[in-house]
Amino acid sequence: MTTNMFIAGKGWLYTLDSRAKLIGLLLFCIQVFLPMRQIGVWFLVLLSIAVAIRSVGWAQAFSPLRMVFPVLLVMLMFVPFTYRDGDSMFIIGSLTIATRESILQFSKFASRFIAITYLCILFFWTTTMATILATLRWFGLPYRQSLVITLAFRFVPFIAEAFKMISDSHAMRESTYGQKVHKRNRIKDIMPTVTAALVFSLKSIPNLAMSLEHRGFGRSNVRTTFRSLETNRSLFTHCALSVIICVLFWILFHS
Amino acid sequence: MMQESSISINNVSFSYEGYEHIPLFSNLHLEVPKGSHMLLLAPPDSGKSTLARLLCALVPKYQAGTFSGSLIVGGKDVTESEPWELTDICSLVCQDPQEQLLMTTCKDEIAFPLESLKVDKPTMERRVKESLKSWNLHHVGEANPQELSGGERKRLLLAVTEAIAAPVLILDEPFDDLDAYWRGELINRIQTSNSTVLVMASRYINEFHGTFDRYGLLLDRHIEVESEEDIVMRFETMCDAAFAPSKIEHLATHAHKICCEHVVALHPRKSMGELKPFTLHCDKFHLESEEIVALVGPNGSGKSTFSRALCGLDEVQSGTFSYDDAQVERKHLQRIVGYVFQNPDFELFLPTVKDELMWSIKNDLRKSKDEKESLVATCATMFGLNLNATVATMGYGMRKHLQAAIHYMLNRPFYILDELDSGITYAAAFEMVTLLKSRGAGILLITHDRSFAANLAERTYTMSKGTLIAEAFE
Amino acid sequence: MADNTNHSRQSSKVALKISLVAILTAVVVVFTMVPKIATPVVKGYISLCDVVICFAAFLFGPWVAAIAGGLGSALADLLGGYAQWAPFSLIVHGLQGMIMGCIALPTKKKNQTTLNTPVWRMALAGVVGMVVMVAGYYLTASLFYGFEPALVEVPLNLLQSGVGVIIGIIVAKSTVLAYPPVLSFMR
Repeated sequence: MTTNMFIAGKGWLYTLDSRAKLIGLLLFCIQVFLPMRQIGVWFLVLLSIAVAIRSVGWAQAFSPLRMVFPVLLVMLMFVPFTYRDGDSMFIIGSLTIATRESILQFSKFASRFIAITYLCILFFWTTTMATILATLRWFGLPYRQSLVITLAFRFVPFIAEAFKMISDSHAMRESTYGQKVHKRNRIKDIMPTVTAALVFSLKSIPNLAMSLEHRGFGRSNVRTTFRSLETNRSLFTHCALSVIICVLFWILFHS
Repeated sequence: MMQESSISINNVSFSYEGYEHIPLFSNLHLEVPKGSHMLLLAPPDSGKSTLARLLCALVPKYQAGTFSGSLIVGGKDVTESEPWELTDICSLVCQDPQEQLLMTTCKDEIAFPLESLKVDKPTMERRVKESLKSWNLHHVGEANPQELSGGERKRLLLAVTEAIAAPVLILDEPFDDLDAYWRGELINRIQTSNSTVLVMASRYINEFHGTFDRYGLLLDRHIEVESEEDIVMRFETMCDAAFAPSKIEHLATHAHKICCEHVVALHPRKSMGELKPFTLHCDKFHLESEEIVALVGPNGSGKSTFSRALCGLDEVQSGTFSYDDAQVERKHLQRIVGYVFQNPDFELFLPTVKDELMWSIKNDLRKSKDEKESLVATCATMFGLNLNATVATMGYGMRKHLQAAIHYMLNRPFYILDELDSGITYAAAFEMVTLLKSRGAGILLITHDRSFAANLAERTYTMSKGTLIAEAFE
Repeated sequence: MADNTNHSRQSSKVALKISLVAILTAVVVVFTMVPKIATPVVKGYISLCDVVICFAAFLFGPWVAAIAGGLGSALADLLGGYAQWAPFSLIVHGLQGMIMGCIALPTKKKNQTTLNTPVWRMALAGVVGMVVMVAGYYLTASLFYGFEPALVEVPLNLLQSGVGVIIGIIVAKSTVLAYPPVLSFMR
């Protein structure tokens, strides 16, 4: 299992300062929930897809759509039945399938959902995890909290692989030779794996603590920083650019 | 004039909490002069890792126990220090890199202790770059250590040690995962190093000859320092005693045979260095009951991939497996071949030995409770286990015994033993193999230790760059 | 020669606390993403993340469970491509962990060898946690696609949470039995 969401690609989004990107992401996400014209949100969706195509290529750019598809399907099934006021738009026989109002509601929810999905995913595709953490620290995230996040990311692949092996080893142990294969009880079957995986993870805790202290954690509250973001003029320009784009968007499309 | 000692172990005794009657060390003495390079040979489970941690002030802080004596490293009294006070004095490289790795990129891993030591950013960047280059890791600087191979992770830890540049280095089995080239490199660097180096090893490899200026043996809770020849001879005698002829009764069983033909499997990418996953090819392989067959090859060559295919855990792209000359499906393979994982902790999840052994035969409805209990008791005695012992307090060697006992109870026709000899004595490994074989099982032994394979196996297969080749019978 | 039995064990347990929280967070991420049990409907699958949050709450108390649960499920959402759910998962599972930890507050007795929180207390904490989680996700979903469509998820979340609590109680007890040293990690 990889904890890397970063995709090496090309485009201006990669060169934009990560702090400006974060500000832009937050402002856009908030905007989308405020009263906006439908056309604006859909325009944002198309714009995001266009940027995605430029940044990571055609094949990858549509993968978020595949992921939100189940959600859209559920929306499609339920929204028309919940909003029944207004003029009928789709009629089969004497049964109204969808009204104008419900279609508008569906459009509102779907566009909002897809827009946010793309905005967030673009952020993570174009910014490395190390940079994201450095950005959060720049904005004030205390060192200890960022250390916890880094350590969690370090252990995710390790524990995931162990989980798979533990699961395999218990599956092997449970296979009975020459016995009738009876219907497996789900919960009972995963108990050994879950317990063994938890014990395995817990055993890593003292080792991790030892390693942290051996490498000097706790020596002093002050540490130098290997990955620090510089504060310079271009930062101001990038952030200003981010804010300006969002404000422009609001001016054009707010209702 | 007395030479200043870098490592001074004086009258040190240590025992784990609750085990005061079986101390780990009793009145340990060792003086390692400044700048000296010493090799400490120690059989597995003799406490060398605990000793390494004692020297870094990590024990008894993290492993409760009773300690007495004096420990002075690099001029600092370890018993009065916190581990972080020793960061720039003493660097430890653990046997298992996964116990030490902290960060998500190689560069950050090296930078972390430098940040703790408040090294300024430009110097840090320079030192990180230099140590990565020195161990040939500069192309994986931004990669996640979890995606590196075992050897690369070891080299990463060595690079961290180089960047810190502490005057005392304690290396616990550093040669374990390294290939021939890097073993030679490490030997060179130890020889030319200005620091005091203490290398701990449980196997004597040829590269050690003439490298160190001091040789010691950690045995029976004491350390003895003698000349190279004496120490090596004593150690080898200990190891050779392992291969005594077996006195275990063989039970008559049916003879079985498992074969695979023209198997092609996909080998997952294990290291950043490999450009694309390679495929495994095995034209002909067979294993019969009561046979011991070895599969040797360097780390990452595909031995695990083949084993996982053989025991039905993974799919193969093409090829057939047959059991007693009848083709068999993947699902059935799981019931025929038992896979003994390298890490015993993958299997263990119950409180006591008895619980674990009873779990293995819980599905056998043909036996009564009493029959099961007596089977379990016999098995425990055979493997030297105490039925009421708690798994959490057992050492690595005993957990391996328990794992072997669990598989013995499963009574499979064939067993695959993955790197059984790592971390335990030759004697223990030999015993386990013999016991598993005693019920008529055929054994596939996976190892990268050729001498171990040669001593035990009747036939050997080699895995080289994804192809399984049968070695000519000598 | 000084007898240093208890030397320096009082000083600085920060590293241990950080390690505990970080690894439990990683376990939440893995348990959320790796075992996929039910059919993919709205959010995707039922996961075992509630098992770990229960485990953390019963053994280590509110703060550890809140951080591991909240941070862990947020990270799992990020890694799984459901980034928009992340801040909400952070709050919902964080609250779930905190409340469960407060109700089933573990006791810290010396020489404790088993988990002696009564089962009814763990079950109560579990049920309350379930309510918090299901309500929280219902509100989040209604933000994204309206009140009525969001109801679709409720039965699935109830199932996931319910199964999680049951397994969580069993596993908390069995893990302590299999590995008693875990009790010494408690603050």
